[in-house]
Amino acid sequence: MDTIGWLILVVIVVVVAAVAFVVIRRRRRGGGVIATKDKG
Amino acid sequence: MTASQIRGLPVVTVQGGEDVAEVRDVIYSPEAGRLVGVTLNKRGFLAGRSREVLPAEAIHAVGQHAVMVLDESSLAAPEDAPDDVAHPAMERNVLGDDVLTEGGASLGKVADLVLLVGSSGEVVGYQIDKAGGGRGYIPLPAQLSVSGVALVVPNITEEFVQDDLVGLGAAVDEFRARLGLP
Repeated sequence: MDTIGWLILVVIVVVVAAVAFVVIRRRRRGGGVIATKDKG
Repeated sequence: MTASQIRGLPVVTVQGGEDVAEVRDVIYSPEAGRLVGVTLNKRGFLAGRSREVLPAEAIHAVGQHAVMVLDESSLAAPEDAPDDVAHPAMERNVLGDDVLTEGGASLGKVADLVLLVGSSGEVVGYQIDKAGGGRGYIPLPAQLSVSGVALVVPNITEEFVQDDLVGLGAAVDEFRARLGLP
């Protein structure tokens, strides 16, 4: 593979890694607004 | 301020200035109109849920940039915390709930929960994404029932949808008067 091909491959890997990082972090952080159950 | 502004805030101790946790879930009582507590994440970029929770009575203050506690002992183990906080009903996450009148009309979807700043966690209303577009606010006493799917409100609530938080304050009192609530 020539230099351009390697560069494109590196860019793709970096972008995929960044997206995966953001998705994993968002899922691990989680969070919501929870209503307690009615007691009565 | 809104519940979404509280979520993700660091939990900091007053006595040591230590950053001990991060707010994950905000738990409130629709009946009492109050914040009940928060669940926590550990600190760290990819850290997940913390076992400890923070009941509302252990919160020293909620500010724009941090939730303050006196010290690390304010964080409670699940067995020492109220059940609603230790084991929150995750299926009752109200974000994205349809807001339906008892007559079956949709007012929009729940976007957030509105709390009074500087108080001991009083909840005053909901921020909604209106069915016709744009943001609106409805007072908390409006709800007849709430689940993880829908928020049911009296028919007259449609008259009390406010466009801003300033209007919401006045709407809460007027709404209570109209419904004959204390």
